[in-house]
Amino acid sequence: MNYAHLHLLLNHFPIIGTIIGLSLLLLSFVGDNRDLRRSGLIIFAAGALLAIPAFLSGFGARIMLSRDPGVSSALLERHEAAAMLSLWFMETTGGLALVALWRSHRTPRRARWHLPVVVLFALLTVGLMGRTGETGGDIRHPEMRASQEAIVVEGTLGSVVHALEPTPEKFSQAVVGSLWLWGPLMFLHFVGLVLIVGTVGVFDLRIMGFIKQLPLSPLHRFIPWAMAGLGVNVVTGLLAFIGSPDRYVTSSAFWLKMLSLLLLGLNAVAFYLTGISERVEQLESGEDAPMRAKLIAGSALLLWLAVIVFGRYIAPLSDTLPPPAY
Amino acid sequence: MAVPEFFGTIERSGLSTWIRESPSLFAFYFILLLHTVGLSLVVGANVVVDLRILGVASALPLKPLKQLFGIMWAGLGINGATGILLLIAYPTKSLTNPLFYVKLLLIAFAVVTLQRIDARVFGDGSLSEASMVARGKMMAMWSLLLWIGAIAAGRLLAETFRYLTYADILKGKA
Repeated sequence: MNYAHLHLLLNHFPIIGTIIGLSLLLLSFVGDNRDLRRSGLIIFAAGALLAIPAFLSGFGARIMLSRDPGVSSALLERHEAAAMLSLWFMETTGGLALVALWRSHRTPRRARWHLPVVVLFALLTVGLMGRTGETGGDIRHPEMRASQEAIVVEGTLGSVVHALEPTPEKFSQAVVGSLWLWGPLMFLHFVGLVLIVGTVGVFDLRIMGFIKQLPLSPLHRFIPWAMAGLGVNVVTGLLAFIGSPDRYVTSSAFWLKMLSLLLLGLNAVAFYLTGISERVEQLESGEDAPMRAKLIAGSALLLWLAVIVFGRYIAPLSDTLPPPAY
Repeated sequence: MAVPEFFGTIERSGLSTWIRESPSLFAFYFILLLHTVGLSLVVGANVVVDLRILGVASALPLKPLKQLFGIMWAGLGINGATGILLLIAYPTKSLTNPLFYVKLLLIAFAVVTLQRIDARVFGDGSLSEASMVARGKMMAMWSLLLWIGAIAAGRLLAETFRYLTYADILKGKA
């Protein structure tokens, strides 16, 4: 297993996921099917989570391939730029989907303004993800290229989109080269951390049986603050990574941190999609949560601790993995 | 400016040298990790109490949140201890940076505010929830601002120092 392998394994999920999510969302408007809508939104949230390791592994794959004389660096750069733009749209769509899920959870029949916004962003994401897949395929599949030469060929739409895509290298220099970008970035990452750990921590401790006087339904109101913290940290974390990918890619602690975050995604699935959250939310002051809920809450706390531990050790373990090569 | 020689004395001590130079993952970075864990305990629990006083999750009873103050004081204890160890490792780096004193000042004010919220809002069992909120509003807002300021100052210490060690001062290296 190497980065290119990992990248190929992961990169189809966000592309196909957004297409399926969008289809379910659009179908849900026929006959106002709420289960379909919920499924579509959940798929967007999952796609946003899975897009992160897909994107990160792509950097490793790029470093590998850039040493291969048979690979066009222009095609690599175009794919990287397309991936960056589509990633931001994927993350925005996922974030909006979480907002929509939250709103429909609290007030099932009202506040529909967010659905058209999700549909709009999902449409744009599907388009940009498609372009990312296509430009990625161009790197290694001459049979699908517009030109037999390994050169960048853009149609009209492609050139318009390309004008909006960031230049990865310029961006890296801006983040690493400027003290006044790196410092504030890490400051915001810590503010996000505090928001998440504080709110999720109290919520999980209550489920585990500490501070049992707190009723759970009002406590759940803190979850949007945790989500806001998560949003801040996804953005600032990705910016930090893009700033100096070489340092992160070769750090074992970094990949363990990403693994812990994926496991937290599964943890959220176990809590919200198995009916246990509905039971927990009805707990009044002094009532005990079911054992299964306690286990989920306890493992979430441990996983967040793991995220902090591995996050702290990214720097000292920054050269523990071999640099991407083949 | 007279060169503060005790920076060098501290840095030559066994403890300072070990924290700074040991390749062990349980030296400098472990202390830094504990400092981060302590931070998330103090400020994380504070955020919940402050937000609740400021009106988030207003259906949540306020009084049981008193138990969170234990977590906050524990976090403060961890960060006092680990902060001193980090200072012993790099006295020159911190003490020659004006921002370090700003950070200490912000933490001092934040801890005073924390103590006042603990005593004045949660210490008086006879207060109704409404009067607890009324008493705590201003302090909760200051508490949030001061802790965010302390995190900002702390984070920027890593980017803004002039001298890393005493030897750098002697070399006149900026």
